[in-house]
Amino acid sequence: MTWPQHIIEQLKAYRIRFLSYVPDAIGEQVLKLARHDDFFDILPLAREEEGIGVVTGLYVGGERGAVLMPTSGVGNTVNGLASLAIPYQIPFPMFIGLRGDLGEFNAAQVPMGQALRPILESLRIPYFVLERPDEVNTMVEGALKLTYALELPVALLISTTLAGWKEEK
Amino acid sequence: MINRLQATRFVVDQLTDEPIIASLGNAKFDLFTAKDRPQNFYMWNSMGLASSMGLGLAMARPHQKVIILDGDGALLMNLNSLTTAATRMPQNLIHVIWDNRQFELTGGQPTHTAFRADLGLLARGAGFDKVETIEDQAAFENAFSRALQEPGPWIIVALIGSERATGRPPKSPTFIKHRFMQSLGISPL
Repeated sequence: MTWPQHIIEQLKAYRIRFLSYVPDAIGEQVLKLARHDDFFDILPLAREEEGIGVVTGLYVGGERGAVLMPTSGVGNTVNGLASLAIPYQIPFPMFIGLRGDLGEFNAAQVPMGQALRPILESLRIPYFVLERPDEVNTMVEGALKLTYALELPVALLISTTLAGWKEEK
Repeated sequence: MINRLQATRFVVDQLTDEPIIASLGNAKFDLFTAKDRPQNFYMWNSMGLASSMGLGLAMARPHQKVIILDGDGALLMNLNSLTTAATRMPQNLIHVIWDNRQFELTGGQPTHTAFRADLGLLARGAGFDKVETIEDQAAFENAFSRALQEPGPWIIVALIGSERATGRPPKSPTFIKHRFMQSLGISPL
């Protein structure tokens, strides 16, 4: 299986049916599989913070969701995480396509890319970096298990080592 | 002009076990005063996210009406939640927006609806067609009763006065969450 297939299979194993997203080239590799799978219900967002609200509403209504976003979008989610998901203890995975790190060509992506881990750490959100194809299944399964045990969000950072970096066009 | 507390009392009097997501500030304060019920989800912060949370809840519970009690200042902070909800058009969603044209709790500074912004027109522009902008209690009662009976999504913009709300709901976020989920028959997932 490819790394996106492992993610899809683990989402299904954990009954995470609702995927909300702001698009990026990395997350799209997962979403294009989900779009062809009747199990999933996919919601396009306009801004990443909405996803924190949507997944919270889903959870308190009895359904599990995940949010997919680019690195820059994490900046847009901070208040939603800090004032809703964390104090109300809402579990869900965030899949974050890494920019502003290894292989980045765009200077305007770099500061957020470098701030991403410290931001997650300061919010005490556990994160795991997906780098090797043979580790993806175990790390995603482990992160999903953790989020529902912890009753808090966790982040899965999809690295350029795994997914490839964006070529300057 | 509509009185927010009086209109909120009407809302809860019409409901049985339908859930309400109440935005931070006066929307949730008056909901608590009108009737504290386990099906009330009180947001203590996360300004703007009541609309997004209500969408998620409506997606999770398609066979039950879901009510959002929002404010103009809050919705203006997350206007794109209207265009997102309109991609889905949940028939069970009733989004009430109390519009007093000001940030009342922080000293009455004007919101953009005090200038040229019209939330009803913005909702139509986002893609909603069942949109009511209402200025008096009788019309509010008619619109809300209809929204409960007929498929939506419904957007009700209620032009309210500026009465301060005195109710203070429970403060523990996890208490609010667990009580809410339990009332819907949901165990931690």
